[in-house]
Amino acid sequence: MKPAYQRYALTRTAQAAVVVLLAYVLTFLVTSVLPGDAVTNALRDPQNGLSEQEIQRIVAFYGLDKPVLVQLGLSLGRFLTGELGFSLQSDLPVSRLIGDALPSTLTLAGSALVIAVVFAVAIAYGAHHLPGKWSGAVRSIPSFFLSVPNFVIGLVLIELFAFRLHSFTTTDPNSPAATLFAAVTLAIPVSAPLAEVLIAGLDHESRQDYAQVARSRGITEAGLFVKHLVKPSALPSVAMVALIVGELLGGSVITETIFGRDGIGTVVQKAVTGEDQPVLQAVVSLSAVVFVAVNLIADLVSPLVDPRVKLRETVDA
Amino acid sequence: MSSALWPRRAFLATVSAATASVLLTACGGATATGPSGDGTPVDGGNLTFLIQGYDTGWVSSKTSISSYEGNLWGQITDKLVYVDEKGKLSPWIAESWEELNGAKEFVLHLKKGVTFSDGSPLDAAAVVANLNAWAKGDPSRGVSKVGLFPSTNFLKAEAKDAGTVRVTFSSPALGFIATLGYHGCILLSPKTLALPVEQQADLKQEIGSGPFVVKSWKQGDSYVLEKRKDYNWGPAALGHTGPARLDTITYKVIKDTSVRTSTVASGQAEVAFNVEPQEIDSLKAQGFTVGTPRYLGFTDGFQVNTGTFPTNELSVRQAIQHGIDREEILKTVYTGDWTAATTFLQGNVPEAGDYSGLFKFDPEAAKKLLEDDGWKTGADGYRVKDGKTLELTLSPNPYVPSTKAEDELISQQLKNIGIKVNLKVVDVAGYAAVQASHPPLYQTSRSFVDVGTVAGVLTSQNNGEDWFRLGTSDKKLNELSTAVATASDRDTRKKVAGEIQQHVLEQGYFIPLNQLVQRLYLISPKVQGVQYNGLAYANFYTAWIAK
Amino acid sequence: MTTAFTLERLRGVGGATRRGTLRLPPTVVLSFLVVLTVVLWSLLPGLFTSHSPVTGETATKLAAPSPGHWFGTDYLGRDLYARVVFGTASSVTSALVAVLIGLVAGSAIGLASGFRGGWVDATLGRLVDVLLAVPGFLLAVVIVSSLGFQTINAAIATGVSAVAVFARLMRAEVLRIRGAVYVEASYLEGGSRLHVLLRHILPNAYRSVLVLAVLQFGTSILVIASLAFLGYGDPPPASDWGLLVASGKTYVTAPWLVYAPALVIVITVLSVNRISRWLRKAK
Repeated sequence: MKPAYQRYALTRTAQAAVVVLLAYVLTFLVTSVLPGDAVTNALRDPQNGLSEQEIQRIVAFYGLDKPVLVQLGLSLGRFLTGELGFSLQSDLPVSRLIGDALPSTLTLAGSALVIAVVFAVAIAYGAHHLPGKWSGAVRSIPSFFLSVPNFVIGLVLIELFAFRLHSFTTTDPNSPAATLFAAVTLAIPVSAPLAEVLIAGLDHESRQDYAQVARSRGITEAGLFVKHLVKPSALPSVAMVALIVGELLGGSVITETIFGRDGIGTVVQKAVTGEDQPVLQAVVSLSAVVFVAVNLIADLVSPLVDPRVKLRETVDA
Repeated sequence: MSSALWPRRAFLATVSAATASVLLTACGGATATGPSGDGTPVDGGNLTFLIQGYDTGWVSSKTSISSYEGNLWGQITDKLVYVDEKGKLSPWIAESWEELNGAKEFVLHLKKGVTFSDGSPLDAAAVVANLNAWAKGDPSRGVSKVGLFPSTNFLKAEAKDAGTVRVTFSSPALGFIATLGYHGCILLSPKTLALPVEQQADLKQEIGSGPFVVKSWKQGDSYVLEKRKDYNWGPAALGHTGPARLDTITYKVIKDTSVRTSTVASGQAEVAFNVEPQEIDSLKAQGFTVGTPRYLGFTDGFQVNTGTFPTNELSVRQAIQHGIDREEILKTVYTGDWTAATTFLQGNVPEAGDYSGLFKFDPEAAKKLLEDDGWKTGADGYRVKDGKTLELTLSPNPYVPSTKAEDELISQQLKNIGIKVNLKVVDVAGYAAVQASHPPLYQTSRSFVDVGTVAGVLTSQNNGEDWFRLGTSDKKLNELSTAVATASDRDTRKKVAGEIQQHVLEQGYFIPLNQLVQRLYLISPKVQGVQYNGLAYANFYTAWIAK
Repeated sequence: MTTAFTLERLRGVGGATRRGTLRLPPTVVLSFLVVLTVVLWSLLPGLFTSHSPVTGETATKLAAPSPGHWFGTDYLGRDLYARVVFGTASSVTSALVAVLIGLVAGSAIGLASGFRGGWVDATLGRLVDVLLAVPGFLLAVVIVSSLGFQTINAAIATGVSAVAVFARLMRAEVLRIRGAVYVEASYLEGGSRLHVLLRHILPNAYRSVLVLAVLQFGTSILVIASLAFLGYGDPPPASDWGLLVASGKTYVTAPWLVYAPALVIVITVLSVNRISRWLRKAK
């Protein structure tokens, strides 16, 4: 088992590194085929107020006067040393733009993740422990959650809770209350697949022998739910966490726009309208890093937690 | 199992939307009580002002100042002269002035004891530094002049003593004094003016003498101003002396128009900038004040690029003028607070004439113009000549409320005469790129205080802004522009200004739409004493919040 | 039976596998009706409304829903129902385009991966990993900003971000079916790869791919609506559903401008998801 696990861990890590690099190259190619000379357009935009020297410096920095492949080499080399370049709109280091925006997005995404898990567990619990008719209703919630666009949820929540019930104010989008509602907006679509997996897992596990045995010993349903079911049925969802991270990042673009929060989503939006290629490049590659890292951890941890997970995935991935 | 689920889910969907809409129609009026207090001003209070964005930076030396930044500049700086809503000039930092030598020489007498917020004196030397910056800028440092300042004939400004400044011009500059009240001519500390452009972008470095000072800010998010306790030099015309009544003003960025509106409507903030015009009537009915001041300047309309397809053809320009139904625009997109344009100058500009006959709505005439010029209707209803479709792309002006709806309607109207108009919606940052690309039609919104300054934008003479991309090719326009800028008496100037309007409109260089209300203020009933100047900026120096 | 098992694994469903029947629950019938209506809206919008989607009666702007205007009128007096109906073509057709892109490209990658194995599988596997590594919506935003703000580009972007899921599913299907006894037998009998592909793999895989395609269709409608909401689709006077919500929200006193198109989106996606769930169970 042990040498096998080491080999597995090593291969997975190497694969992860390759994926990150490829993601970088792919984004670079996608954003570099921008129609027209977008980079120079952004630089020359008088509104950005860059001086000729600054423009020259940026052009030289990115090798904008050289072929695309050379630019890619330059850019990739820097990325590997952790250097993300400068924004074409503001001339600020991209790492600073992202660094400034990150705490807000992390707070939002973190709260959303917690809320999504709470929703999912509540729905799964309801699906299992409510009488048939109600259980059916609860089971249909995930499907409904998956059908409502993020922006509609946000608009309804703001209308109801900010303007009608005064639960939070739109002028202070970073207040705990405003963050809570933004997080709910982001959490609802994320909780749906999580709930579906939990329900399915619970359905499966509750038919297993040990559940029957535990019941026969007179443990309450709720106790059983917690003690015996949540842990094993949550296992498949560990792999999902990685997917969810992606959902949270993508969803933050809309949620931050609607709630007027400054975060990664807003940075992305500004970069898109301002054709700010280095910023887009950095955000996309960093989110790939996050995704791959979370995934890697999940892959490395799950064989240790649950021996039923086969290391076969090395070949399978 | 699942057969019974559908109705319930559908019900859920309907319920959530229905609850929301019921609540919505029950509307925000609940919190908007009528004007409170007995009308006596009270000191203290904090005001939150919602605005759509601060994206264009704080460099004060710019050819023109954005409507958004302008709101904040107005509270932290003073001007030499005050211009009221009707264009009337009155003393401010300049206590009095003399016009000498056929308007070629001016002497300004300054108010004594005025200081910048860093304690340095606002004296004649400081005023001279400001005048030089407005007139000439400093190209070597990338500092641009103020676009509408009469700089072509500006000779020099000199301090005669600590309280007197003499300004001389090479030819008559009738617009000089009025321009001192323009929102681009804000008085800043000489220290600020001497800074490199990059450092001017730092709001902390922008030292003014206004009733408020910047206390703290988070770029692109919120800006807190607090009152200067020793301020005692506001314009006499405002009828208030001493410091401002409000303790603080917080400019808070909220991009979304509906959120700005609803936030004020639900009592969570006091003022919202640029709400949707079509919402005004219902907001007024709920007791809110909606300020729709009209500035002195150009009307809402299009600068035409005469150098590009398809507006390089006179027939197309004229057809567009006659193809637009301004009545329908006013009735649909705006409210009774708006009026139609009679020329390309706002109605409160004394020199504005009535040339509406030159661009009256007449679709048949428009069609005939195009038909006679060889534009034949193609299969899809759009006109074609030499295999090219009569087509152009238009970007609604993001500085003016409701231009998206307005331009959508114009696109429908021009479709009727066979012109295809594509819309490209952009934000403030994107609009600069649109301007730089010189589209066939560019929707302008520009204020000025004196008609003499328009000469600086119409042609490329004297580094003019060359609005119509004519360069100096239109001899008549060149001559008229120069004549307006250098006229020695107001009667002559009014006559020449009339000729310019006639010529520009006949040639279809400008397509007027309606009189512009660029700055719209939705104000909570609690806030009183707000005054507007001739550039349609709200002044909160005199405002207070009723208890 | 085995197909059903894979699908449940795919969706993480471990419940009892029921023998498929073609019993149509009423909710599914209703969902099919909704989808049929939406499809007809996009094909023959003129049949469903006599109002024009681009020109309106400006005198009756911002009118509340009424028998004359089911969804009310917008800020230029245009019939909102007509705008929704005429906006269906780009909102829904582009979702179909997105699914097709994902389906065709993803299946091709999955087939090649599963069939050839070895370095082809390894290479394509990394490509799929990369596509999965970037959050789908973020990827779509970047692609559409690179191609230009048009609905068709939004569809392409959405399609590309869906390639990975299809590729994964197809590869898993191929591997599973290839290993099945009857396929081995077919090889032994001297069947060519193409024969195996056509005779065994595609017929067995198509159902699970179909279920995923339907599910993706719903997701794509949401993604494209979100892109349009952000202004990354066709500009006005186009009336993509997401754009209708975005431009409607400016008018606080006319809530129907937001809620009518929003409800249409929700009901459509709900129906599509219901059909997808039914397909999954029906096997």
